[in-house]
Amino acid sequence: MRMNTIGFTIGILFGGLLAGAQLHEYDTIHAMLRLQEADVYFLMASAIAVSAPLLWILERRNHQTPLGGRISLSRSMPQRHHVKGGALFGVGWAIAGTCPAPALVMLSSGAFLGVVAMAGIFLGLHLNTARASEAAPIGDGEHRELVTVA
Amino acid sequence: MLDLLPHRIPWFVVGPGLGLLIVALFAITNQPLGASGANIQTSGLLRRGRDVAVWRVWYFAGMIGGGLLVTRVLTADGPGIRSGYDSLRDAFPLWAVVPLVFGGATILGYGAGLAGGCTSGHGLCGTAQRSPASATVTLTFLSTAIATTFALHVVTGGSL
Repeated sequence: MRMNTIGFTIGILFGGLLAGAQLHEYDTIHAMLRLQEADVYFLMASAIAVSAPLLWILERRNHQTPLGGRISLSRSMPQRHHVKGGALFGVGWAIAGTCPAPALVMLSSGAFLGVVAMAGIFLGLHLNTARASEAAPIGDGEHRELVTVA
Repeated sequence: MLDLLPHRIPWFVVGPGLGLLIVALFAITNQPLGASGANIQTSGLLRRGRDVAVWRVWYFAGMIGGGLLVTRVLTADGPGIRSGYDSLRDAFPLWAVVPLVFGGATILGYGAGLAGGCTSGHGLCGTAQRSPASATVTLTFLSTAIATTFALHVVTGGSL
């Protein structure tokens, strides 16, 4: 229950920030990838510059999280699927000019092609899940969670 | 609706803000933050209605809500119906843009699934954990995305 509230709250703030930076606009992503504008690179770098040291401190202090036990960062080694997946992701990202979170914001901003983008993303994720079998680890960068809550 | 936010909030506000969200989610729940996972869990809920991490569906709903709040409530009204793809629409007719966006989105969805994350999961959250796999994914997708964009620029005769 508390997890759901936290997930929803983080989602609102996350979606709000992406929208504030215009990351849901094709033009923003296209200008970034055409190397016409550096804002999004600075944005990503500053997000990492803020979070990496703080996560490192939490890890060093063996921080006990209220809901998930002792903090455990994951550092897996690159495998072939990381390179293949990353390469495909980049190609699609450049063509569609959006990625999984900004596409949701595009949808809620009232841009009608957001529906098309989200449908494609769902299909692509589904094709991979179907290929890899339902039990395969899926999702976030460093997923540890196959926990089913409901 | 309201005119409380600037048209674009600068990167030095949004970037650190996203960083703090990553830290907050880890500090409270020991979970990584990523949008692909939210999409997968939501699609799982829609398809089978069980065996999903429900909080990630809430996270999915929250992102839609946050986008709505900022784009439709807190900023001044823009044009009513938009495509979201201004310069792509300038370059191509709609009948070409729809399959292009759908095809690109399908490729990126498949790639995100295969890589185990996207711009948020690997690009931000994984890299912030100092994961070599995430750094590899991030450098790979940035390279292919820039290369693809320049290829499109050439193929379209400079109109993109």
